[in-house]
Amino acid sequence: MKIINNISLMGYDGVLTEGHLSDEMTQIVVPENSSFSGNILHVSGDIHLKVILDGENSNFDIRIIYLSNKNSKNSIKVEVLHKHKNTTSSYIIRGILADSSEMVLDGIIRIPKDSQKCDGYLNHRAVLLSDNAKVKATPELEIYADDVKCSHGSAVGALDENLLFYLMSRGIDAEEGKRLLLKSFLSDSLADSFEMYIDEWMDKNV
Amino acid sequence: MAFLEIKNLCARVENKEILKDFSLTINEGEVHAIMGPNGSGKSTLSNVIAGHPAYEITAGSITFKGKDLLAMRADERANSGVFLAFQYPTELPGVGTALFFKTAINAKRKFLGLPDLDAVQFMKRLKMRATALGITDEMLKRPVNVGFSGGEKKKMETFQMAFLEPDFCILDEMDSGLDIDALKVVSNGVNIMREPHRSFLLITHYQRLLDYIVPDFIHIMVNGKIVESGDKTLALHLEEKGYENYK
Ligand SMILES: Nc1ncnc2c1ncn2[C@@H]1O[C@H](COP(=O)(O)OP(=O)(O)O)[C@@H](O)[C@H]1O
Ligand SMILES: [Mg+2]
Repeated sequence: MKIINNISLMGYDGVLTEGHLSDEMTQIVVPENSSFSGNILHVSGDIHLKVILDGENSNFDIRIIYLSNKNSKNSIKVEVLHKHKNTTSSYIIRGILADSSEMVLDGIIRIPKDSQKCDGYLNHRAVLLSDNAKVKATPELEIYADDVKCSHGSAVGALDENLLFYLMSRGIDAEEGKRLLLKSFLSDSLADSFEMYIDEWMDKNV
Repeated sequence: MAFLEIKNLCARVENKEILKDFSLTINEGEVHAIMGPNGSGKSTLSNVIAGHPAYEITAGSITFKGKDLLAMRADERANSGVFLAFQYPTELPGVGTALFFKTAINAKRKFLGLPDLDAVQFMKRLKMRATALGITDEMLKRPVNVGFSGGEKKKMETFQMAFLEPDFCILDEMDSGLDIDALKVVSNGVNIMREPHRSFLLITHYQRLLDYIVPDFIHIMVNGKIVESGDKTLALHLEEKGYENYK
């Protein structure tokens, strides 16, 4: 069974809906002059999310946090299609991997030829808590328009030893220090509603 | 029993020998200053005393209040009374300054077998020294060091020191990047902490700091070891002659 927990998606109508993403592709269509904003907390399973910016001046931002542990192997695929000009997209993805868990992450920003003046952003960062955890991240751009702004990036690594030392030099033990650093790491993508769940996860896995 | 005793210490980082047979004894209540050119190993020494895991100790010992400091983790050293004010303090986005202070003080209290401070006691202690160091409420609300100027970061380090009340304080290049007003504020913050049971190690490149915090002893460090020691007048000689003579 694949469960994806605690998804809260703030739709362009401003209504917060909580639900589950299915195994198959979930598609979000944003009409013209509309915004869509969402937070996803992923703890297991394979998800495939596609956003279509389906009219001029449509935009979305989605923040995804994933937490992996044990020997789980999961995947996340996110896509955006800038179908019209003057559209903006933002995927911020933050992952924490413990034990020997593995994550495969694919992200694609598509901007067809006539979609000028679009802004696409995809940023992925992951922290490996163990030497055996792995992430394979492949961010891709498919851009055919010439007047666009687009950036993507991915960075994966262990917690910064110097940051942890700073906390420990103030008397904070390694475990508590790591937790503070992970909270710091997640701070630009964290929704309040996830906080309790993430705290519990850290109690067990950090 | 010496308060802090460093004996024949050799330390390396990434296979590079940085501290070479370094020895220094500091007694209770004393203020020592180490001066030296860039790259002589001053920050390495502070990191080694505070317990940075990247530095490998290849020989020698450090005892602090009779205990083997090198056998302790960095957090244990801190809770035993060692404090390092960093040359380059770290920014921690998303970690509130107040939460950071609270976590640190309660870790120390736990180590000492004391109960956590409650919210009221905590705020009282936090506010007590904040004003003296020009730490505003607004700064306390921000994440740790995020968006602070170089000078504000140094004030925050000194404030952490005042708040945690350590017995041995290492101040690594506390004067770098400070204008004269900030330097006075920070020096005053240090001077009011001078007490018979508390010792200091000031690390600096310049003599200027030592006009404001007057040390009992000055040591000149070049290439990983102390090459000359003396009283406060040593800094004046250095001002005239520079480090060139020691190379
Ligand atoms: N973490 C480190 N990794 C690699 N080299 C280092 C590290 N820390 C210090 N060094 C090297 O050790 C030498 C001494 O540096 P440092 O202790 O910072 O000197 P100072 O503080 O006196 O300027 C320099 O050559 C520096 O490049
Ligand atoms: Mg230095």
